[in-house]
Amino acid sequence: MTSPRRTRRNVTLLVCYGLIVLFMLFFLFPPYWMAITSFKTNQEIESLEGIPLIVQHGGTLKHYQDLFAKTDFLLYFRNSVFVTIPVVLLSMVISVLAAYALSRLGFAGAGLIGTAVFLVYLVPDSLLFIPLFKIIGALGLLNSKWSLLLVYPTAIVPFCTWLLIGYFASIPRELDEAALVDGASHAQMLVRIFLPVAVPGLIAATIFAFTVSWSGFLYPLAFIYSSHEQVLTAGTVTSLIKGDVYHWGGLMAGALLACLPPVLLYVFLMDYYISGLTAGSTKG
Amino acid sequence: MEQRTRREFLKTTTAGAAAVSVVGFPYVSRAQAKLTMGLWDHWVPGANDALKKIVDEWGKANKVEVSIDFITSIGNKLQLTGAAESRAGAGHDVMAFQTWDGTFYKDKLEPMSDVAEALIKKFGPFNENATYLNRQDGRWVTLPSPIGSHTYPLETRMDLVKKHAGVDVQDIFPPDVKKRNKQKVDAWDWKMFLAVAKKVHAAGFPIGCSIAENTDSNDWLGPLFATHGAFPMDDKGNITIDSPATLEAIEYLKEFVQYMPKDIYGWDDASNNRWLISGKGSAIFNPPSAWTVAKRDQPEVAAQVWHHDAPRGPKGRFRGSLPFTWGVWKFSKNKKPAKDLLLFLSERETQWKLITASQGYDYPQIVSFQDHPIWNEIGPPVGGQYNYPVRGDEKLIVAGWPAKPEFGAQIYSKWLLPTMVGKVTSGGMAPKDAVKWAAGELEGYKRG
Amino acid sequence: MSPSGTAVDVAAPARLRPARARLWLRLQSRPAMGIFMCLPLILLIGGLVAYPFFYAIYLSMLNKRETAFIGLDNFRFLMTRDVFWQVAQTSFVFTFLAVLWKAILGFTLALVIHTVPTRGQRVWRGLSLIPWVMPLALSSLGWWWIYEPTHSALNWMLMLFGISPKPWLSDPFWAKFSVILVNIWYGTPFFMITYLAGLKSIPQELFESSDIDGASGFQRLRHITLPMLKNIIAITMLFSTIVTLATFDIVRVLTRGGPRQSTHMFGTYAFELGIASGDVPLGAAVSLFMFPILAVSAFFILRGIRRSTM
Repeated sequence: MTSPRRTRRNVTLLVCYGLIVLFMLFFLFPPYWMAITSFKTNQEIESLEGIPLIVQHGGTLKHYQDLFAKTDFLLYFRNSVFVTIPVVLLSMVISVLAAYALSRLGFAGAGLIGTAVFLVYLVPDSLLFIPLFKIIGALGLLNSKWSLLLVYPTAIVPFCTWLLIGYFASIPRELDEAALVDGASHAQMLVRIFLPVAVPGLIAATIFAFTVSWSGFLYPLAFIYSSHEQVLTAGTVTSLIKGDVYHWGGLMAGALLACLPPVLLYVFLMDYYISGLTAGSTKG
Repeated sequence: MEQRTRREFLKTTTAGAAAVSVVGFPYVSRAQAKLTMGLWDHWVPGANDALKKIVDEWGKANKVEVSIDFITSIGNKLQLTGAAESRAGAGHDVMAFQTWDGTFYKDKLEPMSDVAEALIKKFGPFNENATYLNRQDGRWVTLPSPIGSHTYPLETRMDLVKKHAGVDVQDIFPPDVKKRNKQKVDAWDWKMFLAVAKKVHAAGFPIGCSIAENTDSNDWLGPLFATHGAFPMDDKGNITIDSPATLEAIEYLKEFVQYMPKDIYGWDDASNNRWLISGKGSAIFNPPSAWTVAKRDQPEVAAQVWHHDAPRGPKGRFRGSLPFTWGVWKFSKNKKPAKDLLLFLSERETQWKLITASQGYDYPQIVSFQDHPIWNEIGPPVGGQYNYPVRGDEKLIVAGWPAKPEFGAQIYSKWLLPTMVGKVTSGGMAPKDAVKWAAGELEGYKRG
Repeated sequence: MSPSGTAVDVAAPARLRPARARLWLRLQSRPAMGIFMCLPLILLIGGLVAYPFFYAIYLSMLNKRETAFIGLDNFRFLMTRDVFWQVAQTSFVFTFLAVLWKAILGFTLALVIHTVPTRGQRVWRGLSLIPWVMPLALSSLGWWWIYEPTHSALNWMLMLFGISPKPWLSDPFWAKFSVILVNIWYGTPFFMITYLAGLKSIPQELFESSDIDGASGFQRLRHITLPMLKNIIAITMLFSTIVTLATFDIVRVLTRGGPRQSTHMFGTYAFELGIASGDVPLGAAVSLFMFPILAVSAFFILRGIRRSTM
């Protein structure tokens, strides 16, 4: 009686694993290809002989060495770091305060603000970048990485606020009331009770903030045009390789390294990352 | 007062850097002045460093701290930078512009008439093309660039073309203009070029010319249309693209593209270089940058590269060019050192060094400088670059000529010609419809 | 999303003097505190989202040199341009196809991962998100290399199977295909992870009772799974529609809108006109064409969320 069922189950599993393998090949081929190219010699990259899918004539670290020694890569990296850290801090502060206020402090207009925040999240950067270009220009921040400090939070704060509201709302009210009875102010409540309990949400929000800031491309492309102010994404795409004709090895090396921080963050904090992404779908 | 100072400078100068300090007037008891430059990132290996060295020496002698950003033209980065700086009202003191772009910003640039006229007085006129682009509204809006300007001859693998098409380009265009045979040169027209294309394509070494949104495309299509007598606009602002000459040129191209690789529609400015250097391409329209890189990476290819004139058309022989122009922004606080540096870089001694450092790539904008010996001497193959400067009857133009600069600039920067041709040769549009589309676009350019 | 509204008094510390205590009480009151804490958010949104949005509308009604007000002339001009209609068509077709395929593939993968033993699920789930985690502009660079005409790995593999190489980036049709493919590669993980979470939230009892009734896999899918996930599916697709319509990175890196403007979307075309060509008002006008779609999608998303919170 169990046999046909078992067979059906096995067939199902086989099909499932088959599909999974196909998906994995699809998802992982590009980073694999980028990595392989970054370790091949120029001659091997250019030659059309042999199997391109593996390194056949001896790997080399030359592209990575040249990346650090002969290009502005480290400069872009440094700029990205200088931009990302303040952006994340600023965004988190704004989001935490707003999330606390909107989830706990019932006041007239809170609902309105909440909806507005949500709507704002829907306005894409490819609509805002033109007026922002003029505004940033008027503020004298064109061609400065600090322009990003102003505009990146607009893409980060709405989602993080919404995420944190979800986490804060799930904290039991008894904790609130106990603290208030003890005479705590809102600030103390926030810091001593909410933040520790909402740590998973905070981590998820921070990861999101980091990823958006690190990956930003349109804003730096539009606002920054000098190499010494440019960040990693726009810099790698537009200015990493200049003039010379064969550059794929170096470009892939640069692109891969530039992907490393968000990927590492993801590898170590995967569960928080995923819970952040899926926060909305399972909560109401 | 500035005029006299510059005249004095020209009279007393022999060697470059040391002499400038004779003109102490502007810099007496001045603290270190600063100058920033946004210049084109040169293709030729070593050219950037050579320029930087010369500029640093000048800077030391004149107590000016000069910093240079070499900005690539790939992905239109250089153009974007110019656009951004003009809008921001901040940026480099000296900015390099491709071809027409200075026109877009002429009201925001400091007139360069004093520098230009000083140079003309001493060394003779700039070439017609440079004058046309830089001198607008009765003044020199920008200065023809001391480096980087180049023309688009054919860079041909003479061995492949000889072997598979039976044409000896070395023979038609020998390294001495006096030895040219008029009949042979006249026979080098688009028909012959097409015949060559067919044969090398059949042998597996196609000619590769880009038809995409890049300067390479403008720089061979513009002259091609011109040789047929087809021009997008005339110098009075009339739209002249709708003409039998245009259709004739498009019909030619319809046939020609069959013998070129299919990816030309997706090429960027480096693609045709790669095409030649890889050994697969038998000819490209390009300045010697491909040869220079091949000399380093694929010397056996480089040794067979011959530069020579473009084909003749029914209405003449034109060659494409990409001159750079340098401007000084009005918002710059360092106009004096900027102009003095530009003057220094443009005068004969320095130009000699720069042309050598560019291995003959930099095409001098001052006509009298075209007797530099490098094009006779550099090789292998020796003499291969002799015909890189225009020796024969070609007229140097840029796509968009002879339209008024504000329209020519748009014709060029909006890739009108490659897009129109691509619609026909790749998109299958009827030539008449493509021309009508182009005329509509030209109407749009007139919009303020 | 609406905050809770319990009325709790805050007791002021007894040691404060009466007047200051009153002030302190006032400040500690929820409305004041609430608005105070929301202030940075309000300033950010007001100054850097709402104001620019309206500024964009104003900008779009200026002439190229930004010296005169020309009303709706930029919009009128755009609508006479073939290029613009091409951009509009590309934007809508791209968005429709990409979202559809992301949803289908994401759902399929979620279902498949959900079906295999739990131990392995974490691995597949983790690996699947990698495209999403890599910064899009940089992974687009990788894809550019994959599509590169002379050395395309894809073409090499196709030729192994006897299929002719494709002009991935130089032919309008294939260029559109290539760009959509990258978007699907990038976005499917997000759909997958959302649907997977949704699948896991369906109570097991539903499946068990259907098992007893002898339902087949497909019947389960149709009658239990899909209806239960209806809301999530709708909301994810709506969100994705907005994000996909606003595509910039992929097109900018792979084709820059070419060949011959065939891959331009609203975002990249606005960049081309506004930043690259220096006609900011025209660029703003192009961007604003995205707004109607955004507004409609926002309406449906809000309605969907309100429904699922009820």
